[in-house]
Amino acid sequence: MLRFSILVEHWDLYMQGFGHTIKASVLALIGSLALGTIIAIFRIAPIRPLNWVGTAYVEFIRNIPLVLIVFVFFMGLPAVGIRFDSFTAGTLGLMVYTAAFIAEAIRSGIQAVPKGQMEAARSSGLTYLQAMRYVILPQAVKIVIPPLGNQFINLVKNSSVLGVIAGLDLMYYGDLISSKTFVTFDVYIFVALFYLVLTIPLSLGVGYLERRLLKAR
Amino acid sequence: MIYFHQVNKYYGDFHVLKDINLTINQGEVVVIIGPSGSGKSTLVRCINRLETISSGELIVDGVKVNDKGVNINELRRNIGMVFQHFNLYPHMTVLQNITLAPRKVLGMSEKEANEIAMYYLEKVGIPDKANAYPSALSGGQQQRVAIARGLAMKPKIMLFDEPTSALDPETIGEVLDVMKQLAKEGMTMVVVTHEMGFAREVADRIVFMDQGRILEEAPPEEFFAAPKEERARVFLSRILNH
Ligand SMILES: Nc1ncnc2c1ncn2[C@@H]1O[C@H](COP(=O)(O)OP(=O)(O)O)[C@@H](O)[C@H]1O
Ligand SMILES: [Mg+2]
Repeated sequence: MLRFSILVEHWDLYMQGFGHTIKASVLALIGSLALGTIIAIFRIAPIRPLNWVGTAYVEFIRNIPLVLIVFVFFMGLPAVGIRFDSFTAGTLGLMVYTAAFIAEAIRSGIQAVPKGQMEAARSSGLTYLQAMRYVILPQAVKIVIPPLGNQFINLVKNSSVLGVIAGLDLMYYGDLISSKTFVTFDVYIFVALFYLVLTIPLSLGVGYLERRLLKAR
Repeated sequence: MIYFHQVNKYYGDFHVLKDINLTINQGEVVVIIGPSGSGKSTLVRCINRLETISSGELIVDGVKVNDKGVNINELRRNIGMVFQHFNLYPHMTVLQNITLAPRKVLGMSEKEANEIAMYYLEKVGIPDKANAYPSALSGGQQQRVAIARGLAMKPKIMLFDEPTSALDPETIGEVLDVMKQLAKEGMTMVVVTHEMGFAREVADRIVFMDQGRILEEAPPEEFFAAPKEERARVFLSRILNH
């Protein structure tokens, strides 16, 4: 039987962690969406050097472990004089990491729009940017929303990396409570439940949007 | 109106257009035929610079298409293009499909653009579909919308790249009828097609291509009665006997 007394007695600590996990997720989400969009545009713009920068970013970042990126922000940058608290370092690492995946989702969404759409638009006299805005992007958004939703779910789960550098998130407080009470199983079950409170609605929301977009085709 | 002089084009090492010389005058209907892979689409797509040429000269409506300073959007608004797979915008209604370029390129008001769109929808015979989405239309209807979309820019030239190849046999006729009407009204048309009946009836000239070259160019009565080129004969007998 799950010991709910642990949850009740440490409710404040759980809430602290829960709040920080939400905060880190939301901040990293906004940041990675902006950064990811820029990187995606770098990758498809008809300008070679930008393509290289975009590709380098994506290939480099998504092929190293998240925890290493977070270590760079937490311990690597202080070595060159830039200092972050553990929460900020963790959130920045999370943002930089997720941006690579979001860039890929957005890029592949734009490129999934059939080539004939751009050709039809351009041959009617629209400029490249007009064609993007009125013809390509509205179609790409529908393609991109489901994979973006999945990236957000991953982002929430990945925010647990903050625990590794004492980033005040759910995972961190879970560790704290566990070391105080010498209980592991129950403590982490409650941690898991808090994550589910965040991810299940997200997951359902993504599924709902996906179905609606399919119908709107 | 359209003038190719010694035009060559390569895709990497692949020589897709070889020494093309072709003149198309205002009001002419030129039908391009030839086996698949012979470069018909590439030739047509050079006219509005969807493809760029590697050498030679290409002048359309008095403009050297591949010159550096050319405002390509300016040129393209005068050239309508109809594709094999329609390429209608799936997220827009028929009316929005037709009015997008008139509004954004020509700066027409929505009301004016709508009126023009309705005029051309009447012309292609489906005014009742104005508010439908492309996915709700048959292939033949979609292609007629695509033609109306091209016409709404009041172009001087219309390009057709196998406009009926993706259609069910029973809807091919309705699209060809619209094209015949257009030809009758004096539109300058370049048409890639395998519809020999249409070519025979409507074309002023047939251009036969094979392996990147124009092998023969003749009025339809001459061409269909007795193609000079052996390869044209083989091609014709194959396409007429299947
Ligand atoms: N973008 C491309 N890159 C390389 N080869 C191409 C490209 N587009 C067409 N080709 C080749 O050029 C040749 C002519 O193609 P195309 O003009 O489409 O012929 P057609 O319309 O007569 O069937 C074909 O062999 C085709 O494979
Ligand atoms: Mg072709």
